[in-house]
Amino acid sequence: MERTVTVEPEAGLHARPASKLVQTANRFDADVSIGRADDGDDGLVRADSMLSVSGLNVEHGESVRVVAEGPDAEAALDAVCDLLTSPVEESVDDDAEDAP
Amino acid sequence: MRTLTGVGSTPRSGVGAARWYRSDADLTLPDRPDPESVDVDAELGRYEAARDDVREALRDARDRTAERVGEEEAAVFEAHESFLDDPTIVEDVEAAIREGMPAEHAVADRFDEAVSQFEGMEGRMAERADDLRDVRDRLLRALLDAEGDGPTGAADLGALPEGTILLAERLTPSDTAALDPDAVAGIATVEGGRTSHAAIIARSLAIPAVVGVGADLESVADGETVLVDGEAGEVVVDPDEERREAVREAGPEAIRERVETSDGRAVEVAANIGGEAELGAAADRGADGVGLFRTEFLFVDREAPPTEDEQYEAVTAALSAFDDPEDRVVVRTLDVGGDKPVPYLDLPDEPNPFLGRRGIRLSLDEHADLFETQLRALLRAAATDGGDGLAVMFPLVTRVEEVERAVDAVESVADVLASEGVDHAVPELGAMVETPAAAFLADALAERLDFLSVGTNDLAQYVMAADRGNDAVAEYHDPLHPAVLRALDRTTAAAAGTDAWVGMCGEMAGDPALTELLVGLGFDELSMSAVTVPDVKARVREVDADDARSLAADALACETRSEVLDTLGLDDRAA
Repeated sequence: MERTVTVEPEAGLHARPASKLVQTANRFDADVSIGRADDGDDGLVRADSMLSVSGLNVEHGESVRVVAEGPDAEAALDAVCDLLTSPVEESVDDDAEDAP
Repeated sequence: MRTLTGVGSTPRSGVGAARWYRSDADLTLPDRPDPESVDVDAELGRYEAARDDVREALRDARDRTAERVGEEEAAVFEAHESFLDDPTIVEDVEAAIREGMPAEHAVADRFDEAVSQFEGMEGRMAERADDLRDVRDRLLRALLDAEGDGPTGAADLGALPEGTILLAERLTPSDTAALDPDAVAGIATVEGGRTSHAAIIARSLAIPAVVGVGADLESVADGETVLVDGEAGEVVVDPDEERREAVREAGPEAIRERVETSDGRAVEVAANIGGEAELGAAADRGADGVGLFRTEFLFVDREAPPTEDEQYEAVTAALSAFDDPEDRVVVRTLDVGGDKPVPYLDLPDEPNPFLGRRGIRLSLDEHADLFETQLRALLRAAATDGGDGLAVMFPLVTRVEEVERAVDAVESVADVLASEGVDHAVPELGAMVETPAAAFLADALAERLDFLSVGTNDLAQYVMAADRGNDAVAEYHDPLHPAVLRALDRTTAAAAGTDAWVGMCGEMAGDPALTELLVGLGFDELSMSAVTVPDVKARVREVDADDARSLAADALACETRSEVLDTLGLDDRAA
């Protein structure tokens, strides 16, 4: 099964959103892959690999396709798409080192 | 005994054994053996053990950094863990080992290939290359250096032996935050200035530090006995007995009561607070209240702004930590801008955020709604027990109209609260003086407000036109440049003719070597990292206000920084 969603996190699929996505994909008994919606099957990479996900260089607002297969495919797809469509950001400077 | 000089950044000293930190330690691989001679199972086991060690170190670093510095700096360690356990990397490395490659070669080859995938790209992709190099080096260190007697790398920062004097080219904020203040007796770095983030964090951890020593530091070898004197800005190699006996690790005892100069002029000594967790330490060190309560911590690392009630709780917590009726808590309204992004605020991406939409500019326009919520919380807190001590200040003021609009906003919030029947009071209101514009207009600002508070780090940055994050212009950041001193004088002199009091809440305020000068310039309040509150209080008691005034007059007559240093008797002080 698969779904196409727009990437909401401001940082795109980099840094924290990317590692969260990888952690999520790893949690399920399913093979999850992800790619740019326009790139077809050739553009799909493993969603459980930080290297592959970072390598996509997907930015905020781009449309991505998520494909999941296996016993937990549906739950995995829900969790991954939730993450992609919530505007949770990389957290920001807590200002601890910012003196006036 | 030989003495090197740099910039003292924590007025404490410590002595111990030198240990160089090399984030880019030379990780030379042994020659590759004949594949037939490689014990595949043993190599797979070494790889797995190394990954376990690195994963544990990354999680420790993550937790420690989140606790001491913030979630932003901590997040990088999560990304590192994702690379460490990346299944495509693990599969390839294991496949290479099965073909007869030792674990370190298999790791180095696979990571170098991954690095080259990202290298030479821009921005965030280039950062991934740095992440991969960091993970590769941690793994190689674990594989090559199982005995732990090799060069100290990033993985070891949290587990240094007691009595370590850490030497480094430079330290990033997360490097510094990873340090255990009980183990590290001191820090000395080749690069960096007093207001570099690493120096500020070292100060908040109360670790003696001397930064910006220069290439001379390279002459110190691992294992040599080194004394770091953060007050004098000296690194003493092989110190003599007299010098070692003068080590002051703990600093003076906290002085609980308020202090005055030897001839009776009261000076308030307060603490700068970046989060509720710091309130206890500030009170323990005898601070007379909070001179700068940064509210940004309430806004970052979350998906929506804090509610009015959350902000009210945070402010009342600060007020109850300092419940002496005389103790003030000065809250700075939200101070964010393009360099400190907060995701849900949708801040503009600006080419030069320090000169862009930030501070009060955002509060009066784009984020007037957040400003109103913050003011509601503050006015409600002002009506509680102990709320008399509340003061509110506006950041990055440059125009009188901004102050008038901010005061209008406070009044209209008061009207709304009154119409709702909600208890409230209008606290003291003030402006931060951190731009040349505010210093030039200090008289007009002081007439309209209850107080002014000088932020010297930003003031020095704007007066000297030198980005405080840029080490290449570190020599311009010193507040002892005559142009900055004259801006300070203009501010205190302008306020002297009004009812407004004047404070200082920049790093300069926490330097006991400058206390006499600041008293002489007419500051009523000095606010600093809590660690130096006892030093400054003790120093205030020694100062004679008349002598201080003539010292300040002499300093203001100087035309160069070196004349200022000469006047203050600080001739050997580095920039």
